Amino acid sequence: MNLPIPPVIALLLFPGGIFLLGYGMIYEFVDRKLVARFQNRIGPRWFQPLADWVKLLAKEEIIPDGVNAGLFLALPVVALAGALTAALYAPVAGWIPSFSFRGDLVVTLYLLSMMTLCIGLAGANTLDRFSIVGATRALTQLFSYEAPFLLAILGPAIAAGSWQISDINAYAHSNLWMIVYQPIGFLVALIGLMGKLELPPFDAPEAETEIVSGALTEYSGRGLALFKIGRNVELVVGLTLIAAFYLGGLANPLEFILKTLALLLLTAGLQSLFARLRIDQTVGLWWRIGAIVALVQLLAILAGQALQAVL
Amino acid sequence: MSEETTSNAKKFIVPIGPQHPALKEPGHFEFTVDGEIVTGAAVRLGYVHRGIEKGCEQNTWVQDLYLLERVCGICSHSHATAYVLGVEKLAKVIVPPRAQAIRTLFLELERVHSHLLWLGVAAHEGGYDTLFMYSWRDRETVMDILENLSGNRVNYSANLLGGVKYDVDQKQSDEIRKGIDFLEERTKYYLNVVTTDETFLGRTRHVGQMTLEQAQALDAIGPTARASGLQRDVRVDAPYAAYTDFPIKLVTANGGDLEARFIVRINELFESYRIIRAILDNLPEGELTARMPRRIPEGEAISRVEAPRGELFYFLKSNGSDKPERVKVRTPSLCNWASVTHLAVGHVLADMPMMLAGIDPCFSCNDRSVTIRKEGDSQAWTWEELRRYGIEYYK
Repeated sequence: MNLPIPPVIALLLFPGGIFLLGYGMIYEFVDRKLVARFQNRIGPRWFQPLADWVKLLAKEEIIPDGVNAGLFLALPVVALAGALTAALYAPVAGWIPSFSFRGDLVVTLYLLSMMTLCIGLAGANTLDRFSIVGATRALTQLFSYEAPFLLAILGPAIAAGSWQISDINAYAHSNLWMIVYQPIGFLVALIGLMGKLELPPFDAPEAETEIVSGALTEYSGRGLALFKIGRNVELVVGLTLIAAFYLGGLANPLEFILKTLALLLLTAGLQSLFARLRIDQTVGLWWRIGAIVALVQLLAILAGQALQAVL
Repeated sequence: MSEETTSNAKKFIVPIGPQHPALKEPGHFEFTVDGEIVTGAAVRLGYVHRGIEKGCEQNTWVQDLYLLERVCGICSHSHATAYVLGVEKLAKVIVPPRAQAIRTLFLELERVHSHLLWLGVAAHEGGYDTLFMYSWRDRETVMDILENLSGNRVNYSANLLGGVKYDVDQKQSDEIRKGIDFLEERTKYYLNVVTTDETFLGRTRHVGQMTLEQAQALDAIGPTARASGLQRDVRVDAPYAAYTDFPIKLVTANGGDLEARFIVRINELFESYRIIRAILDNLPEGELTARMPRRIPEGEAISRVEAPRGELFYFLKSNGSDKPERVKVRTPSLCNWASVTHLAVGHVLADMPMMLAGIDPCFSCNDRSVTIRKEGDSQAWTWEELRRYGIEYYK
């Protein structure tokens, strides 16, 4: 679907900006409710994420001693901005991406990593011991899932022969769903997204029973609210990318909602199935299994293409 | 001194507690870490010391029953039972067999609720919230049974000096059987989960491994010791209440790691279900109480009970009046701390919450009034001094 949207509106209202913030909250609610139901709990009411967010915004923001105040205040903003910018290149709501250029896939992936980098920096910025351990773990985790996640996202790009998200989306839409012949890539990408968002079982960087709240322990009020909403936005953008690449593209809002919700259902199930992995187990899992299967998948795609060229 | 300070400054210490999301009660643990590896562990207790032992000396024997039942919220009946058994020994009162059987019934129901609670807490510490929610949901069954029997979910107040307060009729007995049947099915499922779930085994297998020799040297007790293969259970070694009529089979495992502790506790649940059924099938007829004198004859008595966490020890001394001269309580959690601080070294920080939970610690019941980190040796304080210190401390 493609209706001309003025850049200002695309940036602030739809599909970026306000729409994305609200949509992220709805997905946070769906995620929390699903996990709660899987665990046989009641779960939150529909407006709970909004209520949490408003409450956090209204709270006093405490800047602890010994931090670089400028960095402390800027990091949440940068993290949210990174996630929102990434959304402009993704086919959010089934719309053709507002901005697009050759190779925007690489830029988007970098922008999605901003969040983890900001969380790592935020933890290292404070003197708090839980934050420092949390930051170390967050960055260690970044190095473990990032490469397999990248490889898994590159699979469809190579199949489509383009590094432009809108091209890959169009290619996926007109061909067989890529989940059918790249199932490993799909799984690695989905689980990589869970690692990116520090969802269970990859929540070692913020394991509350060990290090309280990890890198964000010292954050309160506005900063914490921005980090939280940024993570919601990143969840939506990540699900959009995976749905666009692996589930036959996103051509209209209905497809967008159904496909991303199906993925969310899958991640919620995975979240409630496992015990938390230790950080050494996470690294081991990604490098011993994740990276290798993603590489095998990539080689298979290349071999398939070479074969096609020969025939 | 200065040398010690500089070496301390270089250490990276992760404090857990007194307030920390992993702890449900206040305690303080200092883990010295090198990266993620723990190189040293220290424990400091005493944040919820309540002076119950001293308080006992000011109340009558009957009033103390209610005070001591509140030492621990989870094993309240074990404390009350240990106390009444000791007092009955001092007074040389023979308690009717029906009362002893009902006491034992409560003890085993309490073990069921305590072990299911622990299963949930330990799973939560390992980040396995689904197991936590499931086991606590099913625990409600046994809580309902206890409420149905006594009217209370936690402090059942079932014991009296010389007997029990509540009888079990046929209708209640049927309801208990129904609940136990349901729980047995669920427990089989949990045993399957903790022994086959790969991610969970990754967090429990070979973690906190304690050999039989270490368990003996560190004087571990209860399921913690039995998981290392140590044959130690008061219910078997020195049967009390109705355990002579309803003998228990000792449950042990050989791993000594967290997985073995899960297995031991879950297998103990099956044993508890068996005993509960046996008691309901063969409940002796007769009175519920025997007559107790108000003044307890002079003397000393020791009484031991296997609480869900291990051996609970009571020492009672009477001077012939209606108030005890001395009540000494040693709770099982106190004995198992050494195993945690000793075994923590060499493990990663992520294992610490589960290792702490592995002994099923109960903080408030093991808090003792000990002056620590003060110059000079420990000292004997008079009641007045202690009271003044308490007022000053909390001012």
